[in-house]
Amino acid sequence: MTDLAQSLIDALALGGLYALIAVGVTLIYTVMGMMNFAQGEFIMLPAYALYVLAGLPFAIAVGGALATGVAIAVLAERVAFRPVRNADLSAQLVTSLAVATILQNVVSASVDARAQSVATPPLVSESSQIGALSVPNLEILTLVLTAIVLGGLGWLLYRTRIGLEMRAAAENFEMARLLGVRANRVVAIAFAISGVLAAAVGVLIVMQTGQVSPTMGLTPVLVGFIAVVIGGFGRISGAVVGGLVLGMASSLLGAYLPDGLVPFRDAIVFSLPVAILLVRPQGLLGPATGEARRI
Amino acid sequence: MKGGGLRSPASAAASLVVPLVLVGLTVAVGASGTPSFEDTVTMALCNLIVVLGLQVFIGNSGVYSFGQLGFAASGAYAAALLTIPAAFTALQTPDLPSLVADAQLSPLPSTLIAAAASGLLAAVVGWPLMRTSTLAIPISTFAFLIVAYNVLANWDAVTGGNSGLVSIPRTTGVASAGIWAAAAVVVALAFKWSAAGYRLQATREDEVAARSIGIGLMRERLLAFTLSGTLCGIGGALAVHQSGTLSPSTFYFAASVTTITMLVVGGARSVFGAVVGTLAVATVNELLRNLEEGAHVLGLFSIGETPGLAAIGLGLILLVTMVALPQGLSRGLEAGEVGGLRRRLRSRALPTPPPAETEQPGLRPVGGPAGGLRAARVSLAFSGLQVLRGVDLELAPGEALGLIGPNGAGKTTLVNVLSGFQAPDSGSVLLDGTSVTGWSPARLARAGLGRTFQAALPFAGLTVVESVAVGAMGVGVGRRRAVGVAAGVLERLGLDKQAQSPAGLRPPGDQRLLGIARALATGPRYLLLDEPAAGLNDEERRDLVAILRGVRQDFGCAILLIEHDMNVVMDLCSRVQVLDDGKTVLVGAPEEVQAHPAVVEAYLGTSYLEGAHA
Repeated sequence: MTDLAQSLIDALALGGLYALIAVGVTLIYTVMGMMNFAQGEFIMLPAYALYVLAGLPFAIAVGGALATGVAIAVLAERVAFRPVRNADLSAQLVTSLAVATILQNVVSASVDARAQSVATPPLVSESSQIGALSVPNLEILTLVLTAIVLGGLGWLLYRTRIGLEMRAAAENFEMARLLGVRANRVVAIAFAISGVLAAAVGVLIVMQTGQVSPTMGLTPVLVGFIAVVIGGFGRISGAVVGGLVLGMASSLLGAYLPDGLVPFRDAIVFSLPVAILLVRPQGLLGPATGEARRI
Repeated sequence: MKGGGLRSPASAAASLVVPLVLVGLTVAVGASGTPSFEDTVTMALCNLIVVLGLQVFIGNSGVYSFGQLGFAASGAYAAALLTIPAAFTALQTPDLPSLVADAQLSPLPSTLIAAAASGLLAAVVGWPLMRTSTLAIPISTFAFLIVAYNVLANWDAVTGGNSGLVSIPRTTGVASAGIWAAAAVVVALAFKWSAAGYRLQATREDEVAARSIGIGLMRERLLAFTLSGTLCGIGGALAVHQSGTLSPSTFYFAASVTTITMLVVGGARSVFGAVVGTLAVATVNELLRNLEEGAHVLGLFSIGETPGLAAIGLGLILLVTMVALPQGLSRGLEAGEVGGLRRRLRSRALPTPPPAETEQPGLRPVGGPAGGLRAARVSLAFSGLQVLRGVDLELAPGEALGLIGPNGAGKTTLVNVLSGFQAPDSGSVLLDGTSVTGWSPARLARAGLGRTFQAALPFAGLTVVESVAVGAMGVGVGRRRAVGVAAGVLERLGLDKQAQSPAGLRPPGDQRLLGIARALATGPRYLLLDEPAAGLNDEERRDLVAILRGVRQDFGCAILLIEHDMNVVMDLCSRVQVLDDGKTVLVGAPEEVQAHPAVVEAYLGTSYLEGAHA
């Protein structure tokens, strides 16, 4: 029983992390229709900020990481993504792939292509006793952070003017623009928020693994993409559900797969979404029909 | 490989010969250099085969796959395992089945088996992947790449795991790579110009319109995906026999980015672009790679050892291309279509084949007494809003029925139900007595039901004749006959002079006619026209009525016409059905309907009537 409860908490923590990634991807998709490959690098660069600021107090290093996340996301939008804002999905996807490649290799060239280890505060690697369970502090932190971030995002989207503008832009970009929504500002803010989310994910991953590498964003960005697809494109709620499903499946498979198959866990996890899409092509929370509107 | 009337023979020949000459020149340059330079050029040619594989799928479907390098990997592993001498196999992959382990094939059979294995894998993997939506395919194929990597890196017994394989015979030379690359050019062009290639390009231009002319999206994508996987497998097999070593990361993310950059820089839509892009990017990549090892630039300043420089350069090239030149260096054109060459060739081009070659669309036998298109008690609601409330409709073979009613009456929704784009909540649709409720639009089109849309939905990237011929190809007519059908239809609609111009550049009136031409090319027995006269001026409107009357006589198909212009309806239709608020108000002869108070009310409002009585 405690084993199962332990596994479930592990699963929930990973699901929460994946939900954060997926929400970051979805936010950009909703305001400009772009699946952003460079989201992985928005995670990786703040992680490197932790590495560079390792000598400073941890709280300051985390502040630096968050600032890095915002800066790189806003900069990438201004320099690379604004020119292709009206291009089709494929063109935007390939553009973001270019940005991802550049950022990854700038880090390879300026730091090192190999992984570097980063010291994290000892408190994070300890566990707390909750009843009969011994829960790693990092998992508690992840869950609390996920709840705070998602709650904050919900408040921002549904209780503030900029949130209203973002939702309007997501619904119909041109119409929102005609009604006085400042498109550039809305998109920039969406990227900034997405950068904060990515930075938070980067910090959590560093605390978990204790290292950084130029390609550390690759798996998270795929996780984010898949969570968005299985959740139903362009819905924040779908992204949360998709992230939770994917993270929990991954964690539980890790715990319960027979030993021989454990190395293939990623292969199984990343095949799951295709199975889901075969049954529900529009994703778990996607609209039932997307076609009627076009004809 | 003649164009068969879709392009001039000279243009077709240039499109084929120019890329082949480029491949030949590359081989000649490679063979004249140092051995290490020759190796570099050989590898570039292997890359070219993979990039041509990408072109077959991405260029024709317009959908990005990030997973094709997984098939290069499968080809490479298959070829390596089949050729590594048994003694080395025992050391590296002890658990390999003896049939493969003991095999020590020569280059050609191992490459062919690798190609077949990769093609088979692509068909098996593609079967579910191609069923996901257009939005999801880039992501699900990316997931496949990671799954493939994960399996290759962990299936130690067969693949040697992360440490990979060594002692692979190095049998690929610049000449053999060149021959395979030339063959890949021919295959990619042949596919692009085949009926299957045109059907896939139609889905790239407009998915909805493509389905309305009988094209099955998944089927066409899967075919190209499989061919693409086969070509990538050949590229991978040749590459591994060039380098002599192989690991799971050889054909992973970095290689995906490199090959996609090559394709995009050249222009994904053309085979010529794939060749140009590969050669250009490979050249720049090689220069940057030399810089990575440290160099003096013009003796002015020196650069230290900088790993990652080549990849940064690659990323920048890709970024600049996407922002400044989204169609790539070739602008998406084949060699025979580029710039001045195109103009010169066009002056010699035949607009359409001579009339002797034109033929009628393949008309199917008209049904017996049960014949006709029928909707019975069709109801449909969109999230609570009841759009159709038990509507009946009957379109007899050869007749012209007008469907009128105010905006929001449910006319287009009814046509969507009849043509399979929308499944009804209840009620049924019968085609010549057979229940076709729930059939896909493509299946209905193949059964003889054609339609147009309120928007023209042109296949903008195809020429006028191509975009009509693909209508016949959509219902299974071979390419050569499809060209004849298109010529006949274009002539009938007065569009034959514009046959070779891009459909996307025609004025709105022509595009509207093109939509009708495309539907007629499928040889429909029932043609559903959704406001064909909308946006036309008076003269165009009169022409349209004349054309539609002729079409009914010449092609013998029944017409269901949604139209707001009562004059058009009166001119063409022998019966008119009035729809309002999802219900049939009235069916009758045009004069009868026009005089009916309910119609006056629906069209002009009750206040008009009250005003008239007052």
